[in-house]
Parts: sequence; structure tokens; C-alpha cells
Amino acid sequence: MRTEEVDVAVIGGGPSGLAAGVAARRAGAQRVVLIERGEQLGGILNQCIHDGFGTKNMGKALTGPEYAQIYIDQASAAGVACYLNTMVLNLSPERELTVCSREGVRRIRAKSVVLCMGCRERTRGAIGIPGYRPAGVFTAGVVQYYMNMRNLSVGRKVVVLGSGDVGLIMARRLTLEGAQVPCVAEILPYPSGLIRNVVQCLEDFGIPLYLSTTVVEIHGRDRITGVTLAKIGPRGGIVPGSQRLVACDTLMLSVGLIAENELAKKAGVVLSPITGGAIVDDRFQTSVPGIFSAGNALQVHDLVDYVSLEAEKAGLGAAEYAYAGKLPRAHIKVSPGKGIRYVVPQYISGTEAVDFSMRVAAPDHDRYVAFRSNGQTLRRMKENVIAPSSMIRFRVRAERFQKIGSELTVELEA
Amino acid sequence: MKGQFTCVVCPTSCLVNAEWNSTELLRTDHSQCKLAWDYVRGEIFDPRRTVTTTVRVDDGELPLVSVKTAPPVPKGTVFEVMQHLAHVVVKAPVNIGDIVVTDVLGTGSNIVATKKIARKV
Repeated sequence: MRTEEVDVAVIGGGPSGLAAGVAARRAGAQRVVLIERGEQLGGILNQCIHDGFGTKNMGKALTGPEYAQIYIDQASAAGVACYLNTMVLNLSPERELTVCSREGVRRIRAKSVVLCMGCRERTRGAIGIPGYRPAGVFTAGVVQYYMNMRNLSVGRKVVVLGSGDVGLIMARRLTLEGAQVPCVAEILPYPSGLIRNVVQCLEDFGIPLYLSTTVVEIHGRDRITGVTLAKIGPRGGIVPGSQRLVACDTLMLSVGLIAENELAKKAGVVLSPITGGAIVDDRFQTSVPGIFSAGNALQVHDLVDYVSLEAEKAGLGAAEYAYAGKLPRAHIKVSPGKGIRYVVPQYISGTEAVDFSMRVAAPDHDRYVAFRSNGQTLRRMKENVIAPSSMIRFRVRAERFQKIGSELTVELEA
Repeated sequence: MKGQFTCVVCPTSCLVNAEWNSTELLRTDHSQCKLAWDYVRGEIFDPRRTVTTTVRVDDGELPLVSVKTAPPVPKGTVFEVMQHLAHVVVKAPVNIGDIVVTDVLGTGSNIVATKKIARKV
């Protein structure tokens, strides 16, 4: 089998893969290859034609394809070798990739690897809605692909289950294209998507959002004819008598995203049960030396801006590893405390500044996020509005870590 | 008059309480943020939206090209713009920034391509 030797191999050509590849090249890695299974670079941004990308790291609101093109151009200028229509079949802990394309199967041996595979959607099967299996049940990302890339219509009357960002965006998109969206149902007592999307996509178009409500039955045999909605009580059961039928020809699901990490598992990378992504240190190195991870494969983001920033750091780490053959291991364990669901990175070195990303467990307001170690508060910051849908990011400077112990806890305080 | 707005300019999505009269915005409880001030004033006196949608492409490697209104169009014209664009077809190749429709419906806004579409080979 043909074998290629490279410095850095980036798996995935979406926003994180592009940013990682560019950063690795700019940091001096000689041979950087990016492997993309699809026909084009840019990943999911190609179908995200709405705007609002880039407000945090470019100071303007771009559409998805515009944002992607900036990084595609950078990758080409930086000399990242991009293999399209190429799928990574296997990744070993020794960083040997088995890849497959029209030319056949071959091997790539990399000094370091960045995992940028992104995420995929949860489907009907994952949430177990009773009823027949008629046509007309789609995930929001599939609807987005059909409408924005292929010029295909999915239905005339579309009930949306789940208030994830893609679902909200597509509720607006369907309305603009002439379909009727009778409602969005969300099982939780608060929206799963960003507040700005609830305002821009639902309130602007008069689409009702029913909280603590879910679909308990799908009707129709060949094509979906309607759904039964029901209120969900505080303990998770159906509120008696709350069921009602809503006629529709399509049900669109926006019920969560799953980090795509089959390759990470094959390489023996330790994953977090909460994020579904790798457990990483502050250089975004996973438990397997020389393998790094960033973007939605590491943790599902709500803003691409932070994906790019995170992936740049991972690409930098990968370039350094490719050059030196090792990185100092980070031993200080970071754990989520009261009110925090998870924190990334899970380990830090304590010698340089760290950008922490985290999500809270429940919506709240006027809380402090406190970084505590050895019974001392290293840093404390006020957050006015917090919600599980909005990732919180904080930079903690290196000098704050002077008195750090072997563990760091991040928690919410009144 | 008084009212409450959710500012959508940045992802922080602040809830802004505002007070205004018939001609100007008088005060908000987020007066330190210029973005929120401009957003709320716009929402009261001249609400506008960036419409992002697609138009059909002839001879393209994909059947659609994504487009946006630049600058944003008055909120009341959003559905008319959509109707108008339903009949627009452009020819590949298309580049980011290409003007697809000039001064759409007399709004002063152009319809601008946001994606590169190569010619079908």
C-alpha cells in the first residue's frame, strides 16, 4: 500500500479543519494535509446561508459561505494540501491514517493529527417518538441541505420539534419560502437555541414557541398527516388532558447534535461522557500524544467564531508536536462545580493563559463564574444572563495561576 | 412610549428597556452600548432586515446560489423581496460579491451573491 509521510494531518475540511490547517502551516509545519470526505471545503457553512457569522472574530456579520471562503482562501494561500472526496477509514494511536478515495486505499503517516470531524444530528430514532414511520420526518440540517443547496421543497406545513439553532433558522427559512410553520415545540422549559434566534426567527414571523411541550405521536402511514403535541410536567410525564392534534405534512427535528468521534475511538482517545468529545489539555491535545481535537468534534459550539479560534490553537499545538515530537503534559485537572455542566479544556498546564469554554446547567441571571483552587478564588467574573444554549468563554491569564494547586474547579456563585 | 427589546446585534442578546417619543429614542437601560442604542432606535423608527435566501443558477455546479440584501431592506418589504427573487435566474459562474439584482424593488438595496458557484463541467 502507498504510504505518505506528513507533518500534520487534519481530519475534516469544515471551519475547524481549515483554521487548524492554516495555523499549523503558519507555525512552520512543512507538510500539512487536510482530508475532507465531501466534494468541497467549508463543511456545514456551505448550507448555512443566513448571516451572523464572524461578529466575534471579524467584527462583521457574514453569511456561512462568505465566512468559509475566507478560510478556504487562507488555506490555499498558506499551502495546506487539501484532499477532497477522501475518507479516513482508520486512525491508529501511532497516528497512521488509512484513507480511501477514488484512487484507492492508501496510508498517511502523520507526526501529529488534528481531529476536526464536526458533529451530526440526533434523529427520530434517538428520541423515540411512537407512531408509524411515514415519509416527511426530517432533521433540520437535512431540510437546510435540500432547500439551500439542492432547491428541493420538503413540505407545505411544517411542525418543528426542538428549538435548537438550526431548527429556529429553518423555521424562518421555510416561512420565507412560503411554507407554513404552525409552531415550534420544545420539551425543556426554556429554548435550546440562542435567544437572538428565537427573536429573529420566531417572534419576527409570529411563529409560536411552545415550551415544556413535545410530540407524543406521529400520525399518517405513507406521509405524515399530523402530530399529537402534549405538555410535559416538571417530572417528565405527560400532563393529562394536554394532548392536541396539529395537522402537518412535515415534521422537522432539531433535537440536538452529537460530536462525531468514531475515529477518535479507534485511536483510543478518551472521550468525555458529557461533551461527547475528546478530553483535552490547554493545547487541545487529547489523551493520545500527538492527537489534537477542536471544533464541534470536541464540543458542540453555537458560534463558528469560537470554533475558528479554538482550532487555530489546536493547529498550533499540532505544528509544535510535529516539530518537537512532544509537548509538556498538563497535569492540573479542571472540573465543573456547582451550576456548571462542563468545562473545556479538562487539563491545563498553569504556565500560560487559557481560554475556557463552558456551559451552565440551567438558565439564570446575575451570577458569578468563579475559578477556585486550593480554597482560593483565582478569578471571578459576572455574567448577566446565562443559559445552557450559550457557551460561556473566559480567558484566564497566566499570572492568575501562580497559586494554583493540582485541581481547578469552575462554579457558579450568587 | 416605553417598551422592551431583545437586542440581536451580538450573541449576548441583552434585554433592553427603552423610552422614546414620536421622533427620537430618549433613553435605554443599556446606554453604554452603542450597538444596542442603534438597534433599538432602528427597531422603533425604521426596522430593517438582512434577507438571506437563494436564487437559481443556470449551468452551475449547484442549482442555487446564496444571496443577501445589502444594505438591509425595510422589514415590511421582506416577503415582496422573496416573491421578486423567485423569478430571478443567474448564469454561472457566480462570485461572492456579484450583484444579482440592483436596487431591488426600489429599496436602494442590492441583492448580492454570498457564494462562489463554478460552471458545471
